[in-house]
Amino acid sequence: MTLLVQQLVLGLLIGGVYVAVGIGFSLVWGVLNIVNLAHGGLVIIGAYLTWLLFSAFKIDPFLSIPIVAAALFGIGYVLQRLLINRVIRAPIFFTLLLTFGVNLVIINVLLLLFKSDFRSVTPSYSGSGLSLGGVQLPYIRVAGLAVALLLAGAVALFLARSRVGGAIQAVGADRDAAQLVGVNLRHVYALTFGIGAACAGVAGGLISTAQAITPSAGEPYTLQAFVVVILGGLGRVSATVVGGLLFGVVETLAQTMVPGLGAGWANAIAFAILVVVLAVRPRGLMGRPV
Amino acid sequence: MPGSPGGSFSTRPDAGGRRLRRVLLAVFAVAVLLVLIAPLSTTDQADSLGLPVLVDKSQIRILTTIAMFVVMATAWNLVGGLTGYGAFGNVAFFGLGAYACAVLVDPHKLHLPMLAGIALAPIVPIAFAVLVGLPLLRLRSHYFSIATLGTAVAVGEVVKNVEYLGGANGLFPPIVRRGDLLFLYLMVAVAAIAVGSVYLVLRSRFGYGLIAIRENEDAAAVLGVNTTLYKVAAFALAAGLTGLAGAVFAVWNSFINQELGFSLDFNIQMILMAVVGGAGTLFGPVLGAILLELLLQALAGQGTVAVYAQIGLGLLLAVTVIFVPRGLVDFFGGSSRLSLGYLRRTLRETSV
Repeated sequence: MTLLVQQLVLGLLIGGVYVAVGIGFSLVWGVLNIVNLAHGGLVIIGAYLTWLLFSAFKIDPFLSIPIVAAALFGIGYVLQRLLINRVIRAPIFFTLLLTFGVNLVIINVLLLLFKSDFRSVTPSYSGSGLSLGGVQLPYIRVAGLAVALLLAGAVALFLARSRVGGAIQAVGADRDAAQLVGVNLRHVYALTFGIGAACAGVAGGLISTAQAITPSAGEPYTLQAFVVVILGGLGRVSATVVGGLLFGVVETLAQTMVPGLGAGWANAIAFAILVVVLAVRPRGLMGRPV
Repeated sequence: MPGSPGGSFSTRPDAGGRRLRRVLLAVFAVAVLLVLIAPLSTTDQADSLGLPVLVDKSQIRILTTIAMFVVMATAWNLVGGLTGYGAFGNVAFFGLGAYACAVLVDPHKLHLPMLAGIALAPIVPIAFAVLVGLPLLRLRSHYFSIATLGTAVAVGEVVKNVEYLGGANGLFPPIVRRGDLLFLYLMVAVAAIAVGSVYLVLRSRFGYGLIAIRENEDAAAVLGVNTTLYKVAAFALAAGLTGLAGAVFAVWNSFINQELGFSLDFNIQMILMAVVGGAGTLFGPVLGAILLELLLQALAGQGTVAVYAQIGLGLLLAVTVIFVPRGLVDFFGGSSRLSLGYLRRTLRETSV
């Protein structure tokens, strides 16, 4: 019983990272209709920035989150404004190919800069945690979940209350109508992608504290972002939160509690979930109708 | 508004354009023929006649690889180019065909003759395409792309975990001694079958139905096109062709594992080739496969060179999708000429 509770809790905590990875991906997909294959690359840029700030300036990974987010926002804004805006009206696989190309460039530039050595961010409290009635709660993971939920709240609040957030939602709902009432599409697109990239950066910071990073360590996260967003549904921040936490729990339970399945099955489980949800309920658990 | 590749871009060449197109096709055909005859100079018969050896083994290998990508890009074009469904996981068919063939010819499993194994292998990817095509082809735009990508990754992961299929080690079909030429011509034959199939499809009721689905699926359905049947048939045909290439690859390479059979690099390369050449056209994917594979071979290297090559490939991707979305075929025989004005126009069409 304790084992089950432990795995449930661990799944929820791991789900925090998935929430953080999913928010930016979902925003960009929902508003810009872009499936951003460079998302994992942006995540890993965030992880490397966190590592740089930690190893060079001894800045705590959780304190450096705003710096990393700001840097990634800038990268994302420029990327969208200069490149992706150019193909936004093209057939959909053009944006897939373009963002795939951007991802290739990101990974290989990181390889040139940092080699493929494993890097990790290890503040003094990493490895320790709380124990509640026999259930282990690693500090890193608990803080990660808290940051992810804060991020989700901040993005939801920003979209619902701010003027720019309103413009972003308007563009997502109807591009041409938004332009008619005076929204500067190029700018709002770039802002949206920048915010998505900033979220990816936050996720990268969380990931750098939980695992060793390499230039290609972001790849699984692009794929997991798909699963989270499809599972929860597109168009709502709360859907991504539910999708991310649920995915964390299902993945952890399937790997540890089902006999015959192990870590080697992680991807197979994730994509089986993805394909089944798409075939049965394409809008996800709580997304708007497709 | 280019809601789909190919169709809305199509141009009607004038008389001069048509003549140019014929000349170019003839030159192209002669070049292909010469390249395909040259490897015969490596045979013993040619040697005994005292003929010079025109190509070496590594070049034959490159030619076989090009033919393999011609098949994959052409097959992708059936779904992505003609039908307008952005399939993003066709490599699943390649891997399934390769694994099926490996199981069929394995002396410890079914132990069929090699050619029988190759001929029967596509049944597996075709059956798989029908099975997943029925639910997934109801999805549109990104949802279909993501679902197909997910399917490809999931199948690869499952295959890797199945003991019977060699697990992570993969399978080892028997090595065919001195098989370079045999596999070159086998792969070229498969490429010819693929291009021939698309040629026939383009001129049939089936092909017009697919294009109608791409341009407006609801309208096509109203006009009496059985959209589900047509889409699944196109998907299955693409699966069969890609699986056939996979089957030949398995025995040619005499080794297949998850990373080779379900390679995400292959997955993206076949799409890139079709788009660079010209999605929705007959020869675009062929041209794209030849040019891109030659480029990839030229860039291939170890260590830092490979890293720069990958960066170059990424930039090439970006430049291609931004500036030549209609593909290179548009310049040859189409009414377009490559010019600054052309680049500016295509850029404006797709930008915000």
